[in-house]
Amino acid sequence: MSLTITCPICGKRNGYEFRYGGQDKGPRPEEDGLTPEKWAEYVHLNENTGGIQKEWWFHRSGCGLWFTILRDTQTNQEIK
Amino acid sequence: MNRLTHLPTLRIQPSKALSLTYNKKRLTGVEGDSVATALYANGIRIFSRSVKYHRPRGLYSLDGESSNCFMAVDGVPNTRTCTTLLKDGMTVNPQNVIGTPEHDWLFFLDYFGWAMPAGFYHRHFHRPYVLWPTFRKWIRKAAGFGNVSKNWEGGIYDELHLNTDVTVIGGGPAGMSAALAAANQGLRIVLIEGRPWLGGFFEYSPEPYTLDIPRYERARELAREIEKHPNIRWFCHTYLMGLYGNHQITAFQKGGEKDYFDERYIEVRSQSVVVATGCIERPLIFEHNERPGVMQVGCAHRLARTYGLLPGTKAVFSVGHDQGLEAALDLHQLGLKIPAVADIRFDGQNPDLVDRLNKSEIRYMRGWVAGKVYGHHQTSKITLRSTEGTREESYDCDVVVASAGHTPVSGPLIMAQAKLRFDLHTGFFLPHRLPGNVHPAGRLWGLTDPHAIECSGMMAGLKAAADCGAADDNRLKDLKEKLKELPGPERGTKLAISPGKPGKQFVCFDEDVTVKNIYQACDMGFDVPELNKRFTAAGTGPGQWGIPGHNLPLVISKYHADSTIPPMPTTIRPPMAPTLMATYAGKRHNIFKRTPAHEWQEKAHAIFRRVGVWKRARYFSKDYSCKTEIETVHQAVGIIDVSTLGKFRLFGPDALKALQRVYIGDMSTVKKGRVKYSAMCNDDGCLIDDGVVTLTAENDYYFTTSTGRAGTTVEWIRYHTRYDGWNFHLVNLTDAYGAINLAGPKARKVLSELTDDDLSNEAFPFTGYREMTLAGKIPARVMRLGFVGELSFEMHVSSSMTGYLWKCLMEAGKPFGIRPFGLEAQNVLRMQKGHVIIGQESEIRTTLHDLGMGGLWYKKPESKTVGAVALKQTKHQKDRLKLVGFKMVEPSDPKRAPKDGSIIVNDTIRGHVCTARYSFILNEAIGLALVEDKYAGIGTQLEIFEDGSDHQRLHAQVVKPPFYDIEGHRIRM
Amino acid sequence: MFGKYKRLWKKSRLKSSYDAVIIGGGLHGISTAYFLAKNYGMTDVAILEKRYIGFGGAGRNTAIVRANQRTKENLRLYDEGLKLWPKLMQELDFNMLFFNCGNLNLAHSEAGMSALRLQVASAQFHGIQSELVNAKQCKELVPVLDISDRLAFPIFGGMYHPPGGTLRPESVLWGIAKGASQKGVQIHQETEVKSLEIKNNKVVSVKTGDGKKIHTPRVLNAAGGYSALIANMAGIRLPVDVLPIQAMVSQPLKPFLDHVVSSGVYHAYANQSLKGEVVTGSHMDPWPGYTTQVTARYIKHQAEALTELMPCLRGVKFMRTWGGLADMTPDMAPIIDGNHPIDGFYIDCGWGYFGFKSAPVTGKYMAKFMATGKCPEILKPFTMKRFAQHRLSGETASPVNYGPWN
Repeated sequence: MSLTITCPICGKRNGYEFRYGGQDKGPRPEEDGLTPEKWAEYVHLNENTGGIQKEWWFHRSGCGLWFTILRDTQTNQEIK
Repeated sequence: MNRLTHLPTLRIQPSKALSLTYNKKRLTGVEGDSVATALYANGIRIFSRSVKYHRPRGLYSLDGESSNCFMAVDGVPNTRTCTTLLKDGMTVNPQNVIGTPEHDWLFFLDYFGWAMPAGFYHRHFHRPYVLWPTFRKWIRKAAGFGNVSKNWEGGIYDELHLNTDVTVIGGGPAGMSAALAAANQGLRIVLIEGRPWLGGFFEYSPEPYTLDIPRYERARELAREIEKHPNIRWFCHTYLMGLYGNHQITAFQKGGEKDYFDERYIEVRSQSVVVATGCIERPLIFEHNERPGVMQVGCAHRLARTYGLLPGTKAVFSVGHDQGLEAALDLHQLGLKIPAVADIRFDGQNPDLVDRLNKSEIRYMRGWVAGKVYGHHQTSKITLRSTEGTREESYDCDVVVASAGHTPVSGPLIMAQAKLRFDLHTGFFLPHRLPGNVHPAGRLWGLTDPHAIECSGMMAGLKAAADCGAADDNRLKDLKEKLKELPGPERGTKLAISPGKPGKQFVCFDEDVTVKNIYQACDMGFDVPELNKRFTAAGTGPGQWGIPGHNLPLVISKYHADSTIPPMPTTIRPPMAPTLMATYAGKRHNIFKRTPAHEWQEKAHAIFRRVGVWKRARYFSKDYSCKTEIETVHQAVGIIDVSTLGKFRLFGPDALKALQRVYIGDMSTVKKGRVKYSAMCNDDGCLIDDGVVTLTAENDYYFTTSTGRAGTTVEWIRYHTRYDGWNFHLVNLTDAYGAINLAGPKARKVLSELTDDDLSNEAFPFTGYREMTLAGKIPARVMRLGFVGELSFEMHVSSSMTGYLWKCLMEAGKPFGIRPFGLEAQNVLRMQKGHVIIGQESEIRTTLHDLGMGGLWYKKPESKTVGAVALKQTKHQKDRLKLVGFKMVEPSDPKRAPKDGSIIVNDTIRGHVCTARYSFILNEAIGLALVEDKYAGIGTQLEIFEDGSDHQRLHAQVVKPPFYDIEGHRIRM
Repeated sequence: MFGKYKRLWKKSRLKSSYDAVIIGGGLHGISTAYFLAKNYGMTDVAILEKRYIGFGGAGRNTAIVRANQRTKENLRLYDEGLKLWPKLMQELDFNMLFFNCGNLNLAHSEAGMSALRLQVASAQFHGIQSELVNAKQCKELVPVLDISDRLAFPIFGGMYHPPGGTLRPESVLWGIAKGASQKGVQIHQETEVKSLEIKNNKVVSVKTGDGKKIHTPRVLNAAGGYSALIANMAGIRLPVDVLPIQAMVSQPLKPFLDHVVSSGVYHAYANQSLKGEVVTGSHMDPWPGYTTQVTARYIKHQAEALTELMPCLRGVKFMRTWGGLADMTPDMAPIIDGNHPIDGFYIDCGWGYFGFKSAPVTGKYMAKFMATGKCPEILKPFTMKRFAQHRLSGETASPVNYGPWN
């Protein structure tokens, strides 16, 4: 479904202008002592939330900013 | 056929004749006709044959809800003739018949309906299995409506992308009232209407709007207001295709005589949407309810009122709503003989209408309904039955006007994800949960009173205005009060099926699905509408929901005979009206970028290929081995346009930190005057990009990426630093700079012609970086690189200068035998050096170690470099595919390279050839391959299996790349 | 002549315990149940489906089958899968409308041809019919193709794979459901699983939406697009992104397209169903979500792509478009695990858009897995462990562009 996303700089825009960057998992983990399993968890595993999720977006056809929004994955609506 | 020519409601010009060819016969229609009405006027009654049983089908509705009226019009199969405006000279042909619709040789299939129960093709034809292909061929031939026209060109397909405040879907009284109400709040409105004119169900009705104004006059009054309102853009003959999230709609407009387009794709984004799509009729289900001559109320009425055609001579009505009674009265007035009007309802009628019917000496029968139609090809008689099925009466007639009730066109609401629920009073599926900023209005709610409809429309318009920040709460409140005093929604009939045999009672015309089929499917466990629809195919034909949509859940509900299970509607999916792909596609969309040196290469007879968004020169002659191009680089000097390389400036206090995060090497060693070759990996340690980096000033870096990564590098670097809050700036200079690479032993001599700078190997060694002015006026960044394995200078200059530089170099190089070379020559040259191209020598499971490039990785855990963890964890991992070099050996022809993509095998597949070519300079066939590490040892014999080789194997031996100039002297010359 | 209209799958009362519970009434779940009953005599099996069977991908896919994959791991599985269809039709006495019309994958560049050659050579090595064809041969196979250089990406040639083709997706589901039910498997529609009970790292029971507890030592998560949500109930996160994908059909036409045609460059594929509709699919919305609502974007894209490849389609009308969910993994290969990390909890998901063609054959081996507790060789490459080991599958050559990042 068509999605609109509110960019902090450019305002509410067509979702296809943006690039999805995954759920917000926090900063990159420290390398020391990182087991393969913990690494895979950070890199590949997702919660796949069915509901509201905090996630990263990049305004590709716009200002070039990475930012987070809240979106309901069940309705595909941005949550203000 | 004689037309009624003096009705004020006519939309035809009876005096303006248009010609058409139907089934090779020349016929005449008039301006304003639809194709279907023109045919009807010429006495055509059988329009098509049904898809399964080849039953004759005629005009049933005039709004394109079923495939009954499908014909091939001007080469377009499956055209809804009832909604297609007649144009002079049209060619119309029937489809899916052997013979003509009147005499179809496949008519006998109708007698085998018993052999085609619900889902019959799942239960038969597969035993014995050997016969299945034969049956399948037969099924394929039988299925489908029209034939595609292989050489159809079509006309002009326009596109319109609009932004507005409010979109109003539907140009009837509710929609027009909504549009005016919202427009008067100062908002911009887009209004779309399917029919070629505004007016909706008022448009042809002579019933009074007020005492002295008939409804059709009111429709024209509203239309005039719409047409002159500066805030409203209105589109007639425009069909809604989809209503999507965030109030986006798509629609297509059919071009009329005066339009420059044939069809036009319209996409509108708005703040709020009013859905005023009104109602269509719910078909009455009885025996042979689709026999030609049986038609809906609106069809019969509009044939007369809009097109001046009486539907026949003698008509029996079987209806369930007042609009049916109104039509009967009016058509009677206009000269149609009406022996009887059966009304499903026992009570609830407008007493005035009943009174008028009685006065007109039309037999009016309460609690009666059509039972069965007789007539081989066309209706000749009808049997009416009392709704409980105990009494019968028959009438001769050539037309049966039948309609069980109304059904709201709620498709747009369903597409907008509204939740619908069965409403006992109206018998409609009404929205009980609406998405935000979507406002249904008018007859959709079951309203039939003209003033209530307009009032509901105005309210919707004001609510939509409120969504756009232009609320008028007081007026909205007043309207709410007013609506309360007006008549509410009409009580709808719930009757699903008239008493009679279920075998020839059709629920879905497009797919020939009868009540019996629905029941059979229910028996088999498909007892919810969505499953039943899939099993019986009811509602999956071109008309989608139009004919069976409302009845299917009612019939299933009847099957269950359990009033605690409410009927559930099935889903409606876009496009609401079948839409030409030509219309969706619009104009051709061949969008690509040309490099700033494109024209110069074109002049040099380059053969271009699309590479991502670019067009790039792949060859400069039809010799695809590129012998001359390659030899020129080895022996003299070649020139190649590498402008598509990604080019970036990264600067600021934290620039180095950002580089350390994404580059696998130690970027703190990058210094002025030198380029450093390095690579980027993804988190899996897979090589995704390589290029060179140099320092141009303090904390100011310039770097290149591969062509494919130019578009994503900014987001990549910013993504991987998004939590860090570092202070750096990143500028994509890819389009700002062109780049030309000069390669070959005479490259220095050529470049010296353009500059006085010292280009000697001592002053400007391999991996050196210099900024200089070329040809006296071109500021250039020049670097010594070695991708193709010969002495090479790469020049990055502003795009506007690139073409000029190309010209200067070509002129300067002439005495040295300069030639342009393309991507294929570059491909061979770099392969000889063992240099990889990402995606060609690597897969997503290939790490930097697998490519033998692990040496580029520098451990710097504090940088949290992307890919470093995976590189650490896979460094000593076994059982991986490794990149190796190989050469062809006896008994194979050592000069014949295997084709790229051939596989390396023994008992099983062990790897594949990435790139392999005959090397002119080495006079042997060499290549790069990914093989399991067990087979990657130098000297290992490889067997190569090429497609189509009939299990003959080629033989190769693993050797260590590079193949050419192993010490690298030539790039350091 | 046609007998009674008996229910294809019986109605039954939900019991309080089963030998195995399968979550998801889609193709993978029902196939597994069928083979559990047929091959291992395990008939005390319940399939729990939140909506109705085939609500998910099973009823929304475009039912293309083929065995011309890129890696040998996949080739083995899909080859066996392809050969299973005729057998199943006879075994289940249900016509699934298998149409082995052959698939033609188009290439639009030299590199594209090389990529296809790898697939063709691999298939031929395994004795699977597949060949490279040039542009002219493509046109002979599909006369409506435009092989001129008017295209943005002119057709260079293609990979023709005769044994592939299409089926009718729902009929496959109904047929296997019928077979499973006949063998005693219970199918419970409108039965949602709300939670899983795990004790001592072992599956004990599942709880349904209306609060019923069902004891079982084995649970299979075959919930397709929703399997990540089921896995979350067991505290397992999956390397999956769930993306909405769209497909559409044209109005029914007389036969003119005899093969499945696809083009990776144009992100489009099309074939003509036995009913005459041109069935075509497009790529995914590039963000995850659980809504199956469609967008205006893809049907337009699809028309642009198809009318360029096959200009006569300009005069053909789209009739219907719909959306479904694709559970995509980072390497386009599925996730199959069992007893790891939880005993008795089996996972069969991550098929992305390969779920249909893989279903019966995977069901067959999944049944073996569940009956014996040991993973069959053929499914071993698909363990989730491969991600932590940095051993992605090579089914796709270049990094996929969905998911958080690549």
